Amino acid sequence: MFCELKEKSRVGTINPIFTCQPCGAQFASIGIRDSIGIVHGGQGCVMFVRLLISQHLKESFELASSSVHEEGAVFGATRRVEEAVDVLLMRYPHVRVVPIISTCSTEIIGDDIDGVCNKLNEGLLKEKYADREVHLIPIHTPSFIGSMISGYDLAVRDFVKFFARKGEPNGKINLITGWVNPADVTAMKHLLAEMQVDATVLFEIEAFDAPLMPEGNHVAHGDTTVEDLIGTANAVGTIALNRYEGMKAAKYLENEFGVPAIIGPTPIGIRNTDTFLAHLKALTGKPIPQSLVEERGRAIDAITDVAHMFLADKKVAIFGAPDLVIGLAQFCLDMEMRPVLLLLGDDNSSYGDDPRIKELQEHVDFDMEIITNADLWELDRRLKDGMELDLILGHSKGRFVSIDNKVPMLRVGFPTYDRAGMFRHPVLGYAGATWLAEQIANTIFTDMEYKGIREWSLNVW
Amino acid sequence: MPYHEFECSKCIPERKQHAVIKGPGEQLTDALPQGYLNTIPGTISERGCAYCGAKHVIGTPMKDVIHLSHGPVGCTYDTWQTKRYLSDNDNFQLKYTFASDMKEKHVVFGAEGMLKQNIIEAFKAFPHIKRMTIYQTCATALIGDDLHAVAQEVMDELPDVDIFVCNSPGFRGPSQSGGHHTICIAWFKEKVGTFEPVREGEYIINYVGEYNIQGDQYIMEDFFERMGITVNSTFTGNGSYDDLRAMHRAHLNVLECARSSEYLCNELRVKYGIPRLDIDGFGFKPLGDSLKKVALFFGIEDRAQKIIDEETARWQPELDWYKARLQDKKVCLWPGGSKLWHWAHCIHEEMGVKVVSVYTKFGHQGDMEKGIARVEEGALAIDDPNELEGLEAMETLQPDIIFTGKRPGEVAKKIRVPYLNAHGYHNGPWKGWEGWVRFARDIYNAIYSPMHKLSKLDISKDEIPTTIGFETQRMLSDVNLSDEIKNNKELREYTGKWDCTRDLIKKPAPRSDEPQLAIAA
Repeated sequence: MFCELKEKSRVGTINPIFTCQPCGAQFASIGIRDSIGIVHGGQGCVMFVRLLISQHLKESFELASSSVHEEGAVFGATRRVEEAVDVLLMRYPHVRVVPIISTCSTEIIGDDIDGVCNKLNEGLLKEKYADREVHLIPIHTPSFIGSMISGYDLAVRDFVKFFARKGEPNGKINLITGWVNPADVTAMKHLLAEMQVDATVLFEIEAFDAPLMPEGNHVAHGDTTVEDLIGTANAVGTIALNRYEGMKAAKYLENEFGVPAIIGPTPIGIRNTDTFLAHLKALTGKPIPQSLVEERGRAIDAITDVAHMFLADKKVAIFGAPDLVIGLAQFCLDMEMRPVLLLLGDDNSSYGDDPRIKELQEHVDFDMEIITNADLWELDRRLKDGMELDLILGHSKGRFVSIDNKVPMLRVGFPTYDRAGMFRHPVLGYAGATWLAEQIANTIFTDMEYKGIREWSLNVW
Repeated sequence: MPYHEFECSKCIPERKQHAVIKGPGEQLTDALPQGYLNTIPGTISERGCAYCGAKHVIGTPMKDVIHLSHGPVGCTYDTWQTKRYLSDNDNFQLKYTFASDMKEKHVVFGAEGMLKQNIIEAFKAFPHIKRMTIYQTCATALIGDDLHAVAQEVMDELPDVDIFVCNSPGFRGPSQSGGHHTICIAWFKEKVGTFEPVREGEYIINYVGEYNIQGDQYIMEDFFERMGITVNSTFTGNGSYDDLRAMHRAHLNVLECARSSEYLCNELRVKYGIPRLDIDGFGFKPLGDSLKKVALFFGIEDRAQKIIDEETARWQPELDWYKARLQDKKVCLWPGGSKLWHWAHCIHEEMGVKVVSVYTKFGHQGDMEKGIARVEEGALAIDDPNELEGLEAMETLQPDIIFTGKRPGEVAKKIRVPYLNAHGYHNGPWKGWEGWVRFARDIYNAIYSPMHKLSKLDISKDEIPTTIGFETQRMLSDVNLSDEIKNNKELREYTGKWDCTRDLIKKPAPRSDEPQLAIAA
């Protein structure tokens, strides 16, 4: 077998690929309209996540802290949550949804956030906010379990679980995108529109790319409503694009309300987008229109222009969110490239059960390593030890691996703060396939010119 | 000095004590905002935690050190690559960060064993680095891991390494300031005095509270060297671990950011009798005065004066070019702590701008005292500001620019207020004479950005000027300037290089002897 799946052998982490669970829950919570999450823990757990998101999207998002200080850590800090909810509701009259997101510290001291929500529901909300619709949603995201990926996954599940209510069938599908960029939502909604499929999108985050307006304060915000979430129980089916960022919610709807769930494959590349459309067709009975045949044709045309002349046999390392990494690896293979190293940044023990990883293990015909619980040192060290690579695909935290080892890197995923506007370009759908292929090619071209490697070949092609 | 009550905070009356307006003729003693009190939960405060204050702000700029955080991975990840503290050893401290990556089983059964493994792995991965700092986090503080014991065990096994432990979990105190305090005291108690000898020199200082943001430290060290003063250590920007263990051997502690590291200077004064001298590295006059103060201590005033004369002659015409164009522009000076008093007076006096508000995220009352004393009448001073108060203040004060952090800068952007990064700078360094001109240039470019002007045009309502193909900053800034200033041949725009510190980065001066470990007291 050429493809090896193994866990990083060191116990510690040198240059982490992921942050911890509360970040994932916070990113999910900003996708909901009129929602401000309260993170129950130290202030850094919010302040730095807000900074991280603003580094990536160049926007600021509202997230609050219960500001646990020393006496809270010693004597218990549920009182801080009660105070935080009251202060938040007083000052933000539009807020309807308040996720209460736990952290390592408040999980270790055993603060009962479910109990606090019950107490507030019976007390404060009835007494002081009786005329207001407010939903308090406890979300348990201890930082010492999983990663930002699992935190996102379970927050989406918890939101769906909290709101979904059986009613009349609404004829829609639920599209759970996973942790994506605004442009990916646009790309997926475009495919849905071409297919004439009505969908509830979790989450509607196109407005994360907010304009600077001449008057007024146009802040970036999510647009998925409470009503959207309630209606997820009444859909024709759910498509969760990502296995690790949305599957839990899809499975919940299937088990609880009989809404059939289709999990993945992440629609990165031509083939996976084809599969997505096939799934849509199967769920809704709608045909795939000529317009998409043409769109697909344009994407294949673009990829053909660069694939066997420039991309064939190029060695690639990919790190980041697992669905993104696996989807990119599959697409690289279709573009004749060789993804020789995949780094998955957490210790999820179910990666071996992923059908896509099994397929890689079965069919890849060159040496390929898939490292779980990986850090960026796994890549850095290999390069320092002489590994030859033509390209890295990954996020900005790996920038010095690329810079110091002189391997070009295309920024994909989250966060991509060291390049301008990456969140404005999709990686999903046919549009994403085109953009990825061309940016991969351009990244390699720049490197050829910078290093003087066959740079003359670009004179004519 | 009446307290200022924000509309948005009327429902939380205790906030009223956290903002004041400096009234005409008022004394500082009339009123000061409350400072460094527990944060009100749910306000969307901008404060960070004591872990980040210790690790991220103070610890990590130390350059030749493996910085390992003991806890879940997030604390490490989140505080990595969010600041611009440089070093002359290829930025090792920026590029590499280490997390012990604590998991659930460690919470239950303890994480000391895996911490030890982590330390050994990290030294093995970077065999040329022999120094380490370990930072406690909320999780490892709560389960009670004994970091010191683990560190000692490793040091016993690996005699060529030295490890510093900082127990500053995120919940320690109301803000990052708790972490500044903790790490300063810990460094003093555990590491100062454990390394001999120091660099040789007639006049030896420690430069304390300088974090080498975009090369500030290179600039200042150059001035000190030009005066014949040896910088024994810098705490901590571009600072070396072993140099900082030898802090007790300096003649003088020159203190820049008193907010974050005065604790250390005070301890050094008590135990070793080394005097503390507070300085300002920003602004022509404050910097000149500061160099003179340091020189006066050693009796070498003429050397400081020489630098002041040279630098002023070189850069005054450029600063004045910007000053003429920044007159009365309204500034919200909203940094984290010390810059509110470092900058409050000298951006007014030397750049002509009007400071309409100061705030501090983690400052204490002493910082407000200094800041309010230096700021102009009518300025609004806010302690521990929150999102809504910041917006309300900007809407009321209508500043032309704000100096704040990256994320609050995005908030300002959306209400069409340009921002400069007060923590990491736009195009720094901003210390030194040249740096101060670079700061003025950044302010000028932000305020007179043609795009900024375009952002205010509502194409659905306003008349669109159709005959203008472009505007330059100069066209916007000079429109109301007198001919005398416009045609002044003495004044000129900034003429330095884009990367002005490149030539200053050099290998540290050699120590007088081979490093030897001293026996700790």
